[in-house]
Amino acid sequence: MVETAEVVVVGGGIIGCAVTWQLANLLPAGTRIVLLDRGPIAGGTSGSCMGHLMVTPDDAREYAFTHESVRLWRELQEQQGGFDYNPTGALYLADTDEDAAMFPVLQQQFGACGDHADVLDRKQLRELEPGLAADLPGALFYPGDGVVLPMLACGAMLRAARQANPNVVVRPFTAVVGVDCDARGVSAVRTTPATIATRAVVNCCGVYAPELQRTLGGPPLPIVPRAGNLAITGHHVSPVRTQLLEISYLRFAHGAAKVDPTRTDDPGGHAVNMQPQSHGGCLIGSTRQFRGMDRTLNPALLRRSLQRAQRYAPGLAAAPIVRTWVGLRPYSLDKHPLIGPWPAVPGLWVAAGHEGLGISLAPITGRLLAEMFTGRPTTIDATAWLPARFGA
Amino acid sequence: MSEARVLHAEVGIVGAGPGGLAAAVELVRQGLSVLVLDEGQQPGGQIFRQLPPGAAALPGQEPPSHQAGHGLLAAATEHAVPVHHGATVWNVAPGRLWFEQHGQSWLLCCRHLVLATGAFDRCVPFPGWTLPGVTTAGALQVMVRGYGVVPGRRALVVGSGPLLLPTVATLHQAGVEVVAALEASSRWRALRALPAVLTNAARRREALWYARSLLRAGVRLRWGWTVFACEGDGRVQRAVIGKVDAEGNPRRGSERRLEVDVVGAGFGLVPSIELGQLLGCRTRYDAPRGGHCLEVDGQQGTSVAGVYAVGEACGVGGAEVAMAEGRLAAAAIVAAVRQTPIDAALRTRVAAERRAADAMLRAFAPLPGLHRLATDDTLVCRCEDVPLARARAAAALHGDSLRAIKVGCRAGMGPCQGRICGSSLQALATGRCDVVPDLPVAQVPGKPVRSATIVDAPEPPATA
Ligand SMILES: Cc1cc2nc3c(=O)[nH]c(=O)nc-3n(C[C@@H](O)[C@H](O)[C@H](O)COP(=O)(O)OP(=O)(O)OC[C@H]3O[C@@H](n4cnc5c(N)ncnc54)[C@H](O)[C@@H]3O)c2cc1C
Ligand SMILES: Cc1cc2nc3c(=O)[nH]c(=O)nc-3n(C[C@H](O)[C@H](O)[C@H](O)COP(=O)(O)OP(=O)(O)OC[C@H]3O[C@@H](n4cnc5c(N)ncnc54)[C@H](O)[C@@H]3O)c2cc1C
Repeated sequence: MVETAEVVVVGGGIIGCAVTWQLANLLPAGTRIVLLDRGPIAGGTSGSCMGHLMVTPDDAREYAFTHESVRLWRELQEQQGGFDYNPTGALYLADTDEDAAMFPVLQQQFGACGDHADVLDRKQLRELEPGLAADLPGALFYPGDGVVLPMLACGAMLRAARQANPNVVVRPFTAVVGVDCDARGVSAVRTTPATIATRAVVNCCGVYAPELQRTLGGPPLPIVPRAGNLAITGHHVSPVRTQLLEISYLRFAHGAAKVDPTRTDDPGGHAVNMQPQSHGGCLIGSTRQFRGMDRTLNPALLRRSLQRAQRYAPGLAAAPIVRTWVGLRPYSLDKHPLIGPWPAVPGLWVAAGHEGLGISLAPITGRLLAEMFTGRPTTIDATAWLPARFGA
Repeated sequence: MSEARVLHAEVGIVGAGPGGLAAAVELVRQGLSVLVLDEGQQPGGQIFRQLPPGAAALPGQEPPSHQAGHGLLAAATEHAVPVHHGATVWNVAPGRLWFEQHGQSWLLCCRHLVLATGAFDRCVPFPGWTLPGVTTAGALQVMVRGYGVVPGRRALVVGSGPLLLPTVATLHQAGVEVVAALEASSRWRALRALPAVLTNAARRREALWYARSLLRAGVRLRWGWTVFACEGDGRVQRAVIGKVDAEGNPRRGSERRLEVDVVGAGFGLVPSIELGQLLGCRTRYDAPRGGHCLEVDGQQGTSVAGVYAVGEACGVGGAEVAMAEGRLAAAAIVAAVRQTPIDAALRTRVAAERRAADAMLRAFAPLPGLHRLATDDTLVCRCEDVPLARARAAAALHGDSLRAIKVGCRAGMGPCQGRICGSSLQALATGRCDVVPDLPVAQVPGKPVRSATIVDAPEPPATA
C-alpha cells in the first residue's frame, strides 16, 4: 500500500520543525503530517548556528515579525521547555565613540515601535557585566531578546507537535529525491526508500531549498549560502552573562550585505556576537562570507572575530576554546525570507531563506505558513514574505 | 613579535611516547634536525611514564617493556633529541604544527610530520562509573606512576585486555591491596592469544613477568567477570561484580559485593587520530585495534604526502609495535631525503610485531554486551551530564548517527569532545551494541587551547 500524507514537510531544521509544530496545531487532530530530513533532525544549519532570539526594530513590519516570534518562543518555553531558553536581553556594544553614537538611533527605533531600550553609561555597563573591558563607552540594553539552544528547540517543537497531533511522523535520514506532479499540482514525494502520495509539500531545506526546487523545474529559488565561523569555550569560563553584540553588527548583518552574494570571492567580514551558554561557556561569532557550500574554517576570519571578542571581554583570552565550526546561513537575494505558496506549482509551499535570523523567526514562520495553509487570516500581514514576489 | 615564535626543523614529531621517541632517536642519529612536541611534562608517553624529578621510585622490579623504555630514553638523552614538553598541538597542516606552550602560541615549520599521538582509554559506562574513586586504568597509571599518588587502600581492577595486568602490578607496587582483578573475556577466548604471545619473544617475557607479579600480589584473575555497578556515599565504597556471557552480556543473578575504595576500569584503548583527521589523512575502522585508525602504507606514510603515523594512532598495538613503526617511519623519511633504500628488516619487524599485537587484541576485542551494563540514569557523557535515557530519546527523534545523537542531547560536545563517550555513545543510544560507530568529525583545535593562542597563531613565513 502506498503511504499517504496530508502534507509532507521536507527539512528538519528549525524552520521545518516550526512548520510541523504549527501545522499540527492548526490542522485537525489526526491529520497525517510527515517531516523528512535526509540527515539528522537539526543536523544542518540549525545545528551549527547561534541561538540569539533577536527583536529587530528596523521598521514596524520587521518589529512585528520578530517580536511576535520571540513571544511564541516564550510560549514554547512555558509549554515544553528543555531547550536552554534564557531571557538575557541583549547588550549592544560600541568600541568607539562613533559607534556609541548609534545607541540613541537604535533606542529611538525601539521607541518608535512602542518598545524601549536603555542607554547604559560606562559605570552602569560595568555593574551589569563586570567582565567587560573597562574602557568601553557604554552600551544599549534591550530587555526583550533571549537565547535558546536551537538543536534542543527542534526537539521541543516536535514534542509539542506530537502532543497536538499524534499522527505527526518524524523521519530522519530519509532524503527527498523528487516531487511528482499531475494536472492538479503536487501528487507525490519520492524519498529514498519509497514514494509518499500527498497533495502538499513544504520546502524547508534552508540552503538546500534551491536544490529541492530544481527537481521541479521552473525558476530557481533565490537563496545562497552565507558562511559563518563559530568558536565555543569550555564550561564555566564565560566572562559575560548577557547576549552581547557589537552595534556595528547592524551595519553588515541581516539585510545589510554590500557584496554580490552570487560571487564567491567575498573577502568576508565579522562583528562580535557573544552568547552565554547554559553550561557557563560562551559561544563566539560571527563572521559572514559568501563562498558557496564550502564549510571549511576560514582561520583568518575566525581569528579576527576572536580578537574582537577579547577586546570587549579581555578575560576571554585565557578561556579554552574546545571547538570551532562553520554554518551556512540561507541568504535570500532580496534579504527577506520566503514564506507561503509557490504559485507555479499548486501544492508546493516554501519556508526558507532566513539568513541569520532563522532561529528567531522560526515560530512566526511556522505560524504564518500554517495559517495560509489552512486558509486562516494571518497573525500579521505576511504579504512581504510571499514567494510570489520572485515571479514564480 | 610573532616572528620570534616560529621554529624550524626538518621533521616535526607529535608525541614523545615510544613511537615518537624511537623515530626521533633514529632521525637524529642520521643527522636530521628534529623537534618532538608533547603535552606531558616528562618524556615517555603513556607506557614509559616518568615520575617527576625528586619523587620516590616505586619499589620492586619493572616489567621488561619498561626496561626497554629506559633504553630508549637513554638513547634520546645520549643523542640530545630535542623535546618540548607541555606543548599542546592544536592545529596542523602539511609541514606545519601550531602549538601552545606555557600560554604562548608557537608554530613549528618542518618538511615531514610524524604523528605519534597514542590512544586514550575506552570507557564503558556502568552505574556509578562517575563516582570519585572510580577511574580508568590509564588515569590510575598517571596518578601512581606520573605523580606518585597512592589512590586508596583496597582496589578492584576490571576491564579487558592486556592493560589489566600492568594496572594490578602498579597498584600492588604502590602498596594498594588488589581485592580482585576481573577480565570480561572468557578464558577460552583469551587462549586464542596464546600462540601469538608464545611466538614473540618480547611478549612472552612480558606475559611471564606479569604472571609472576600477579602471584606476588596474591591476585587471581577471574575470567568472564566484570563490574556491574559502583556504589557509595560521595565516593566509591562498594562494587557490585558479576559474570558476563561470551558476548559480554551481564548475567543477572550472579552479583556479589566487594568493599573497595578504588576501582580501575580498563576496557582497552581508542586511537587518538584528531590531528591526522585535521590533515585530511584517510582513516579505517578496525575494531580490535580500538576503532577508527589512521591508514598507513608499508612505510608508515599516511594518505597525505609528507605525513607519517606510528604507534597507536594507526591502531592500538603496544610499545613494541610503536617503536618498530617509529624506526620504520624514520627510515622512510631518511630514504625520502637522501634517496637511499629502506632496510627491509625494519619492515619485517613492524609486520611481525603487528601480527603478534593483532592476535592478542583479537582475543580481547571489545565485547558488545558490556553496553548493557548502563541503566537509564547512568551518565553516558560526563562533560555534558547526559544520562542514557536522554541519549536514547535523542537517537529516537534526531536519528541514529553520532552527529544526530550529539545535536539531540549535547553528548560529546564538552571539553573532551567525545574522547570519553564517543566510542560507546552510539551503541548505547541506539541499543544496537555491535554497530560500527561513525567517525567523529574533527575540528580545530585538536585539543582545547586558549582563545589567545588561536588569535596569536603565527603565520607561516612566506619563504618556508
Ligand atoms: C547553540 C549551539 C551550541 C553548540 N555548542 C557546542 C559545544 O559546546 N561543543 C561542541 O563541540 N559543539 C557545539 N555545537 C556544535 C555542534 O553541534 C557541531 O559541532 C556543529 O554543528 C559543527 O559540526 P561539525 O562541522 O563539527 O560537523 P559534525 O557535527 O560532525 O557534522 C557535520 C555534518 O553536518 C552536515 N551538514 C550538511 N549541511 C550542513 C549545513 N548547512 N550546515 C551544517 N552542517 C551541515 C555535514 O554534511 C556533516 O555530515 C553547538 C551548536 C549550536 C547550534
Ligand atoms: C554562524 C551562524 C550564526 C547564526 N546565529 C543565529 C542567531 O543567533 N539567531 C538566529 O535567529 N539565527 C541565527 N542563524 C541563522 C539560523 O541558523 C538559520 O537561519 C536557520 O538555522 C535556518 O534553518 P532552516 O531550517 O531553514 O535550515 P536547516 O537547519 O539547514 O534545515 C534544512 C534541512 O533540510 C534538509 N534537507 C535538505 N535537502 C533535503 C532533501 N532533499 N531531503 C530531505 N531533507 C533535506 C537538511 O538536511 C537540513 O537538515 C545563524 C546562522 C549561522 C550560520
